Amino acid sequence: MMAPPMDASTPTRESPVAGSDARAVRISGIALIAFLALYAAMVISAPSDAVQGSIQKILYVHVPTALASYLGFFVTAVGGLLYLWRNDDRYDRLAHSGAEVGVLFCTLCILTGPIWAKGTWGHWWVWDPRLTVTLLLWFIYLSYLLLRSFTEGSARTARFAAVYGLLGAFAVPLNYFAIDLFGGAAMHPENLERDSLGAGMGLPFLVSMLMGVVAFLHLLAQRVDLASLQAQALERRLQSGAARRGGPAEDIPGSGSPGTGALSVDNDRGSAL
Amino acid sequence: MNVLLAILWKDLLIEVRSRDRVTAMLVFSLLVVIVFHFALPGSNPEQQAANAPGLLWVAYVFSALLGLGRAFSLELENEALSGLARAPTDRGWVFLGKAAASFLILGVVQAVTAVAFALAFDVDLSAVALPLAGIVALGSLGICSVGTLAAAVAVRTRFREVMLPLLLLPLLWPVISGAVRATAQLVGGSDVEFEAIQLLIVTDGIYLVLSFIGFDFVLDE
Repeated sequence: MMAPPMDASTPTRESPVAGSDARAVRISGIALIAFLALYAAMVISAPSDAVQGSIQKILYVHVPTALASYLGFFVTAVGGLLYLWRNDDRYDRLAHSGAEVGVLFCTLCILTGPIWAKGTWGHWWVWDPRLTVTLLLWFIYLSYLLLRSFTEGSARTARFAAVYGLLGAFAVPLNYFAIDLFGGAAMHPENLERDSLGAGMGLPFLVSMLMGVVAFLHLLAQRVDLASLQAQALERRLQSGAARRGGPAEDIPGSGSPGTGALSVDNDRGSAL
Repeated sequence: MNVLLAILWKDLLIEVRSRDRVTAMLVFSLLVVIVFHFALPGSNPEQQAANAPGLLWVAYVFSALLGLGRAFSLELENEALSGLARAPTDRGWVFLGKAAASFLILGVVQAVTAVAFALAFDVDLSAVALPLAGIVALGSLGICSVGTLAAAVAVRTRFREVMLPLLLLPLLWPVISGAVRATAQLVGGSDVEFEAIQLLIVTDGIYLVLSFIGFDFVLDE
């Protein structure tokens, strides 16, 4: 692919994207700050559970992180599908960002769960269906991120990751089906329709779930914005290098996929060495 | 369809002439059986019979990982992988040819491993050989379908030997759990639950379709 020559006044292809990303970061950041105060007040004032005591308040962290991680993996699958369909780097950046933020929240979910489990069930870990599915999800998307790190060439990385992200999304219901079929007794409570929350806990729980969504959106916006900036920086580097050589910039592995772009260039150097 | 048969024939011919994949997978698989024997010393026959289905499938999955990895690493020589990508047909047929060859080669290894397993762990598999072969075939179909796709991805990465198990194992959970469940019921003398077979069929179908479609994006020139 041949990139057009660029001068300082020429807006880059990435500019409008970066602008909208920065706006999303600002809006979600303001929402996050506003929600943070409400969230803290709600969690502190929420009644303690009569049986479990104060440890039950980990609910307001644990469940929102689970929701945010599922959102992240959903974004990865949708971003990957759109990338394969439209072949637009922006969707790859979205998918990559979704996986990173999703893995972060999934890690938090897997860390907070055992703390609660030890206090209430008496064990750090049980092979409960929902727990097992979440653990497998964590492994799938960790592998997704490793795949991105170990693949050279931006277009290839994006394609491989998109296919694997979609496979991962299909593996989730299959895993759940398998575990539900043979998994034995479920330890997690059923859905909220069963009134598993005590009196006065509904509103704090709702706020904490919204907090999880807002925190997810903010981190996602931050990560996508960073990826766009990386893409622009890499493109400028390529074009300035081409200008020094006196010819147009050539597409090299790593250009156009910002999340791994700089890494891919380094990888290519590394392998050349 | 011709491409499928041509690739299947090519892979089987290479295997018949070199026998490197079958030999490596078989030796590895038998080694796994021996490792299990030493890892579970002093088990009574009941415990051995209870553990056997799970251990058998672990041996199958590990040897499949070896075979699937080799199926694509041999295509790296002389850039044969690029030649496959340029095949004048839908790349899904290339996928089916590679998956079918891996399925057949794995089947040979599985049959010999099952005999070794029956002898080492004193489990009588002869009475259930035919239905067991059916369950193993269903499980292997799932492993070889998504495994072929994962191997095509892994072979183009750095640390490809590590990437294949990392990519594949989290996706194989439904296959392994269904296959182990069905095998345990069969070996234990009870009726095989339809749910286990249903899980295997559904997983195989989904992985086959997804891999057929996805292969077009992972095979590059």
